[in-house]
Parts: sequence; C-alpha cells; structure tokens
Amino acid sequence: MAKKPYAFAQLEAVALEMRRNQDMVFFYEYEVPVATSPTGEVLDLIKEFGKVRTSGRGWAIDETWLVGAAVGVAAAGSPAVVRLPSMTTLFGIEYVYNQAGKLRSMTGGQASMPFVLWQGGGGRTKGSAGQHTEVGQEGIYANLPGVKVVVPSNAYDAKGLLIAAIRDPDPVVYFDYSEVKSGEQPDVPDDAYEVPLGKGIVRQPGTDLTLVAWAPATVDVKRALPDIAKAGISVEYIDPRTLKPLDVDLLAASVRKTRRLLVVEHGHYTNSFGSHVIAEVVQAVPGAKVRKIAFPDVPGPGAQGMMAWLRPDAPKIIDAAIQMMRI
Amino acid sequence: MAETNGKVDRRELLKIMGAAGATSVVMTSCGSSYGKNISGGKWDKTISLATAGPGGNPDWKPGDAVRFLPPERIPTSGSASSALAGLSKEKLLTIYQRMSASRKWETTMKDLFVGAKDGLYGSFHTYIGEEAIACGVMAALNDDDYIASTHRGHGHLIAKGGDLNKMAAEIFFKETGYNKGYGGSMHITDMAKGIMGMNGIVGASFYLAAGAAIRAQVRGTKQVGVAFFGDGAANSPYYFSAIRSCANYKIPAIFVNENNFQYMGVPMATVVPTKYISDYTRGLDIPHYVVDGNDVSAVYAATQEAVDWARAGKGPSMIEGITYRWYDHSGFAGGRVGTDGAMGLPYRSDEEVRQWMSRDPITRYKTWLLDKGLASQAELQKIESDMDKAVADSIAFARQSNDPDPSAGVLNTSAGGAMPATQFFNRKGLVKG
Repeated sequence: MAKKPYAFAQLEAVALEMRRNQDMVFFYEYEVPVATSPTGEVLDLIKEFGKVRTSGRGWAIDETWLVGAAVGVAAAGSPAVVRLPSMTTLFGIEYVYNQAGKLRSMTGGQASMPFVLWQGGGGRTKGSAGQHTEVGQEGIYANLPGVKVVVPSNAYDAKGLLIAAIRDPDPVVYFDYSEVKSGEQPDVPDDAYEVPLGKGIVRQPGTDLTLVAWAPATVDVKRALPDIAKAGISVEYIDPRTLKPLDVDLLAASVRKTRRLLVVEHGHYTNSFGSHVIAEVVQAVPGAKVRKIAFPDVPGPGAQGMMAWLRPDAPKIIDAAIQMMRI
Repeated sequence: MAETNGKVDRRELLKIMGAAGATSVVMTSCGSSYGKNISGGKWDKTISLATAGPGGNPDWKPGDAVRFLPPERIPTSGSASSALAGLSKEKLLTIYQRMSASRKWETTMKDLFVGAKDGLYGSFHTYIGEEAIACGVMAALNDDDYIASTHRGHGHLIAKGGDLNKMAAEIFFKETGYNKGYGGSMHITDMAKGIMGMNGIVGASFYLAAGAAIRAQVRGTKQVGVAFFGDGAANSPYYFSAIRSCANYKIPAIFVNENNFQYMGVPMATVVPTKYISDYTRGLDIPHYVVDGNDVSAVYAATQEAVDWARAGKGPSMIEGITYRWYDHSGFAGGRVGTDGAMGLPYRSDEEVRQWMSRDPITRYKTWLLDKGLASQAELQKIESDMDKAVADSIAFARQSNDPDPSAGVLNTSAGGAMPATQFFNRKGLVKG
C-alpha cells in the first residue's frame, strides 16, 4: 500500500494483468506506456512485454485501426486494451458500436469480447476550446447495447476498475479524465485487486440530499461539500463509478431516504447521462425531487472567463443544494 | 490536364506520368518478385500485372463498367493453373464436394425464398458464381487459421467446413441455428472453426482478421487471418487503414478481394478510378496477385504463396479474384424457381450474366478434374447426389427445429447472460406508488 501517481497506478494495473495473461495485448497511440513511481520504480510495458504485445512499434494515428484491431484480438479470444489519450475524435466508436457491443449477440453467444477502450479526456479546461475540452462521451457509449462504461475518479478506483474491466469478458469503455488525477489521492495497493463493475460508493453519508457525480464533476463537488455542510445541509454524496450497468439500487436506497436528488456532471445538457440517472431514480422513488446541473449545450470555449462561467463549479453546486432544500 | 465529366482523363495522365518516368516507378515499387500472375496461359496474355498499374490502361476510361474486363477473357472450361494437381485426391474431392454443397445449398435456399412456401424472411446474399474463391483460399489454409467473412459469406463457411444443418436453421431463425436465431443469414459464425463470422458492416472483415493475425503473432502459432472483401468494401476507409498497418508491421493477414464488378446496384467502374482493386495498394511493399477468380486452382496457387509468405513472418498479401455474382445484391429479384441467375436487373445486361454463367467455376473445376484424370465421372456424380441429400436434410432439420423462446431476446448480450427484462417495465420490488 502506497501513495503512487495516478498514471503509475493505471499502468500497474495493465502490467499485472499482462503478467497474468501471456496473450493479452495493450495498444496505444503516441503516449508511450512508461511510468515512474516516487520510489524510482519504472514500469516500461514495451521493454517488459515486447513490441508485438504493446504496439511498441508505434501505431499510426488511426483510431479506427487501433480500436478495430484490438476488437479483432478480443474476438479471437485474448484480452485487448487500447488506449486513446485524447477525447477529440469519435472514430473508434464505430467498432465499439457495431462489433464489440454486438458480436456476442449476433453470434448467439459464440463471441466473447474481453476488450477495453481506455479513453482519455482533457476536461473543461481553459485554453483548448471545442474539440479538446470534450466531456460526456460516457453518455454516448452508455447508450450502445452490449457496452459497459466506467468512470473512475481517484487512483484507487482507476487501478481497480481497470483490472475489473480487463478481466470482464464484455467490452468496457474506461473513461480517464485528467482533472481527477491531481490533488489528494487514496493509497493504492501494489497487488492486483478489482473494484467491481456496477458498484457505486457512498463517499459521504447524509440525510437531506443525495448528490450524484462522477469524474470529472467530482472535482467540483469536493470543493462544494464543506460549504454545503456549513449551510446546514446533510448531503449523501454518491460516486456511481460504473455508469453501465448503473448501481440503481444504491441510488434508489439513498433517495428513498433523502427524497431529493441532485446530479452534477460536465457532459452536455441534452440527453446527458445525468438524465438517465434521474429517470432511473424517479421510476424507483416516485415523488422524489430531482435536479441536474450539466454543461450547457455549447462546445467548451477557449477563453478562461467563458469556460469558468459555463462550468458546473462549486458555487453553482452550493447554490443548487440550497435551492433544492426549499422545494 | 484534360478532364472529362469531372474526372481526369487517364490517357492524358498516362502521357504526363510517362514523361516523368512515373509509370516505371509504379511497376518497380511492387517488385517483379512480388507481382505474379497465377493463371498463366490466356490470362497472362490479356492481363498481366505489368500492365495493370495506373499508367497501364490507355484503352480504359471512366464509366466503362465491365468492358475493361470482358468476361470472354475468362475461359469457359478447365484451369490455366496446375497448382492443385499436386494435392491428394481426397483433398481434390473435398474441394469439389464443398463447391458443390455451396452451390446446391444456396440454390435450394433461392428456390425456397422465391417459392415463398416456408415464410422465410430477412436478407440473403448469394455467393453463387464465386465459389472458386472461397474453396481455393480454404484449400490453402489449415483448420485453425482464421477467416473473417462478408455479408456474402455462406460460401466461405461451407468452404471451411461449416455445418449445413446449423446454417439452414439460422436462415430459418431457429434455436438450433449457428447463432440461435439471433443472427440470420448475414451473421453466421463458427468460432470453433476459426470462422469469425459473416458481418453486416461493409469492411468489417479487415480488422477482425488482422486482430486474429496479431493474436497469432503474440502466441507464435503461425496462424494466418484471412479477410474476404468485395470491390465495394475496398472503398471503405477500413481497407487502406488495415492493409497499411498490416504491411507496416508484417502482420500475417491475407486480404482476399472478391471483385464481382458490382456493389449493390452500382457497377464497380462508376466508383473505382483504377483498373483493378489491387492497384489501390501497389505502393505498399507487399505481394499483390490478380487471379482468375473462377479458377479454383489459380486462387489456390495465389493463396498458398500468400500463406507461406505470412507463416514465414514476411507479412500480408493482397489477392484479387476476378469473378461475378449471378444474382442480385440481396434477395432474388429477377430469379426464378428451377432456373439459375437473376435476369432483367437494371444495372447489368442479361447478356453479361449469361456470359459469366457460361464460365461457371464449378463446371470448370469438374472438366479439369475429368480431363486430367484426377477423378471419375462416377465419383463426382456420387458427390453431387450426396450433397443433394445433405442439402435436403439441412432444410428438413431447419423446418423441424424450434423457434427461439421470444424472451431469449434479453440474453446473450453480456457474458453474465441477462440484460433483464426490467428495462421495459419498472423494476420489480422498487415500484411503490
């Protein structure tokens, strides 16, 4: 058990699984899979596992190929992880949608799909604008049949969910938002462990209001929680960690107690995953009072003032919590 | 540079390229040791790789439809290749058996669809007329090699030893079908036989075959992955993406193009700016073959070289088989019970169809076997009657099988088994008004 950099914890997950399964492959584009721990331990996947298993030969910038070839490896029977560091294109979605998510069904259960798309994302940061500030693809992927979606928000979950995703025989899209990697992190065990898919976690128990957020909105929620407490509101804060399959039982149990649900997310407002969270909860807990704060239906602007104004940040969350106690 | 109908005039282009020495560059880049013409004989004289490059077709112009490869250049009988003669008699007869089974099974299905007595529904893309490619390729593969098929893939399955009963039951959407009724004609799969499935997405075969080939590299098994694709799929972005990466990393994949000159209802030449599909990738340093796709021996010869090349760690090859589908893209417009071929289709002439039907790959293989004394008339007739019975049995099996339980529709999406039916009504136990 140790403090270790977020990126190291993630690569450690891949390395542990590649040691466990000699047939497993890891594909990446342009960000070489090497990480160093504070104690100087170097994880170099290319050196340890060779070029064939790691695409250490350097794949071309061709997300369709990266995802498609990994799906092919998985369809043939071996675990395959593909890492796309930037959430700028949607090329990879075609093979996730039409092959990874559907092959098991279309083949009557013959095809297994131990495939993981490790999808990076920059988040709502200043100075990038439009294509490089995207958040919310998790909602798009969650809509695809046969596809599971996880959204870790700290280093412990990042490692445990990645291992669980790799071991899962179904396709999993693993969202890796850079904003959650900084700041205080929990200890991360050195050994392999799983954070089970489909299990959310109560980060803070409470009785007045259920607040649901996943990466990267957890960054803003953490900032807001102390001031919400000062306002005398007891918040039960839940991080679902897996969006699909969603831990509806955990969410419903909480809202049955608080009767109020506030969802905070950085995805675009219309048809965002938060809408689904609300739909599931109100079906399970009729009469619950529900609200959602999301990013408006606009591409993220480059100027920092505009971005800050649009972002569902701590002041907006505090404001929403106080207003919800009045309805 | 002169332009006609918005396209570059290739004759004009040829002069310019020739002046710049570009024509010879094109020819050199594919390498004389790579570029081979398998068929020999007549085929050699009319079409050779040396004249197949972009600069080599002064008599071709856009919009020429099939004129640039007139069917009369394909022999009506026999084979120009003797490659198959080296195989055992058992293997030669197996090839005949599978070609025969493929033709008879699909023809019977055609009669059932057109006759409309069984209430068959869904798409059905016939492979009839193209059987030499599947059987020629498969004759060069081992049982544990992988293939990724197309929507037009019944022939690929049968050529790799697919079970006619399970295939027929899948066409009938029965629970005994290969895919338990989830897939139908377009998705028949037999993972246990290395058949990664037919696929409804044009161009899906490339990455599936390449992925299987990468896995073979990882495991050091020397298996190859074969991607079948039509002339239509060659225009999908996946094709260049996959063949480029396979060439770059010497992935043991084989790209087998079944060029039947028509994608759905569009003649190939309308959308293809080169003479051959293989011209697209001539710049890649990999073997390219253009073969008479109605000559099973020629297809086998090219594939055997490609397989040896891949197993030796030298990477992918591209094989283009020139062939023709006798029926419409899907379904049986213009087809009739008891007669072969689809006539009266708006995008091709009946005369063209008849010309290709007179160059039937199965008849050609049969005459070749007989002429060479490699099989007797009686042996081949026995195979034909055996296959008639096997096909009839498969239809009976399908008819007698049960429909899948409708509620199975929520199964088999995830390994856990259940995508629970709670998704179309409120969750049981949580509904408390």
